[in-house]
Amino acid sequence: MTQFILQIIANGLLSGMVYILMALGFTLIFGIMRIVNFAHGELYMVGASLVLVLYAHNGMNYFVAVLLAALITAGLGALIERFLFRPFVNTELNGMIMSLGIAISLQAAALIVMGPQWQAMERPVSGALDFGGLVVPYDRLFVGGVALAIIALFYLFLTRSRTGLAMQAVAQDAETASLMGVRIGSVSALAFAIAAGLAAAAGGLMAPIYSVAPYMGEMPMLKAFVVVVLGGLGSIPGAVVGGLVIGLVESAFASAMHSTAALIASFALVVLVVLVRPRGLFGKAV
Amino acid sequence: MMRQLATLLVIAVLAVAPMLIGDRYFSHIAVMVCLMGIMAFSMNLMLKVGQLSLAQVVFMSTGAYGSALMAMAWGLPPVLAIVLAGIASGILALVLGPLLLHIRGVYFVLLTFALAQVVNLILQDWVGVTGGNSGLFNIPRLELFGIRLARPEALYPFALFLFALAFLATYLLDRSRAGWVMHSIEENEDLSRALGVDVMRWRVWTFGLSGLMAGIAGGVYAHFIGFLSPAAFTFAISVNILVINVIGGIRSPFGPVVGAILLVPLPELLRDAQQYQLLAYGVLLIVFMAFFRTGITGFLFGTGPGQVAGLRKLARAK
Repeated sequence: MTQFILQIIANGLLSGMVYILMALGFTLIFGIMRIVNFAHGELYMVGASLVLVLYAHNGMNYFVAVLLAALITAGLGALIERFLFRPFVNTELNGMIMSLGIAISLQAAALIVMGPQWQAMERPVSGALDFGGLVVPYDRLFVGGVALAIIALFYLFLTRSRTGLAMQAVAQDAETASLMGVRIGSVSALAFAIAAGLAAAAGGLMAPIYSVAPYMGEMPMLKAFVVVVLGGLGSIPGAVVGGLVIGLVESAFASAMHSTAALIASFALVVLVVLVRPRGLFGKAV
Repeated sequence: MMRQLATLLVIAVLAVAPMLIGDRYFSHIAVMVCLMGIMAFSMNLMLKVGQLSLAQVVFMSTGAYGSALMAMAWGLPPVLAIVLAGIASGILALVLGPLLLHIRGVYFVLLTFALAQVVNLILQDWVGVTGGNSGLFNIPRLELFGIRLARPEALYPFALFLFALAFLATYLLDRSRAGWVMHSIEENEDLSRALGVDVMRWRVWTFGLSGLMAGIAGGVYAHFIGFLSPAAFTFAISVNILVINVIGGIRSPFGPVVGAILLVPLPELLRDAQQYQLLAYGVLLIVFMAFFRTGITGFLFGTGPGQVAGLRKLARAK
């Protein structure tokens, strides 16, 4: 029994790490630009597809491929912010509709380029760690570890660097921040680039485990959505705690019942949280 | 005014065309234009009180499943089943309204999005009633005054009648005192409240009417296609009716009609290349949001009564 529970916790924490990676960017964009980015899942898909092309098709080193995919997607994110989202800052509904348009276009472009089928690739890490009956595949462990390192780096950036502090200032009060000399435009572009890079890194890390297809971004997008609403839109600690909670709850539900029940439970939780406490567990008062 | 008359004339010609051509395939598309058009009006009403609802598809599915099950289990005539299921969907919206509608802005969108996900997952999971993912088969066809409306050519005038009804309801509502109130709520909620408008009650009743429309559209869809599965009631419907509204234009009652006529036939034209249809939807959304935010009707007729018109009329009437 203890072993069963430990296994649930291990699985939950490892998937929680990836959810956090997705949720951080999603919540960062909302915090800075007040835009709910429905295209976030497609950035994950773009990252995974780039890894497929660079690593599986062109034989590039896997780690270099993931890094490069994240950087390219970050550049794409900055362009999207500059030309498509900038006019919609603080007009939440129109920004959301714009993000839907971008999501649909990216998905259609991927369908046209790659076709609808799932494409597998060779796993760069294989085998499993057997820790007294507690079985954890090395590739999941590797993904969890890298994700944790990225999250730690992001946290240091946000709390220690001038740029990170400027970012937090804009999220708290854009007007005051701009009076203090923060350039809102460049902060938004950078935030969008970072968010896109994080999503692409998550996609690139998961690509060998789940394969690659144009529709692959939908599920992680839904998960990030649940995590962020639970933790509070715009809240960074909320995204971290929310990611771990959802990872664990889902792992427990999926082991005890079936995965549809886990999905119903997590969306019902979202409905409840928005009704009772719209700002989520950690959201600031608006 | 001239432009509106011209638009009406073009729409009337297009509406009559399927009846003259009488082609099965053409009529099928025309029926779908009507049904999605009614769905678009259902979302349009909510946009008019300033709330983007992604839950209209929920009422479409309750109308569809409710009507199909009543006709199959109790042997009710389909027309009666559609009306009953439509009213039930409207009542469901009235009951949910007070709970959901005090949530505003982006949180309301997220709330309705999550709600639609829950309902669709329940449709998939509740196999005993809904048939799960394999769906419901052999749903009885429509019959009106003893005439079977199984073929799309026969059903089209009925669907067109309902579409015209949805248009007329929105048009009259827009012109009436209720329309001023709705505009004033969208323009400035606090000021409307100060003028004595019970904002919440208006919003709940609008939600109820939009639920009724969606329920009827769903019911007709069920008996028209003869088969139901959860895959027909996903987020894709919400996206479609949103695109119809954005491209047609939200302010004018002609908006959803123009949008539906232009967009619903698109998947049929690009039948062999679904990815290009998806691309067309996405690019159209981006282009219209970036350059023509008021949609085609906004471009044709101007932005209509202009800002604060509803508030001004309301204040004058007091």
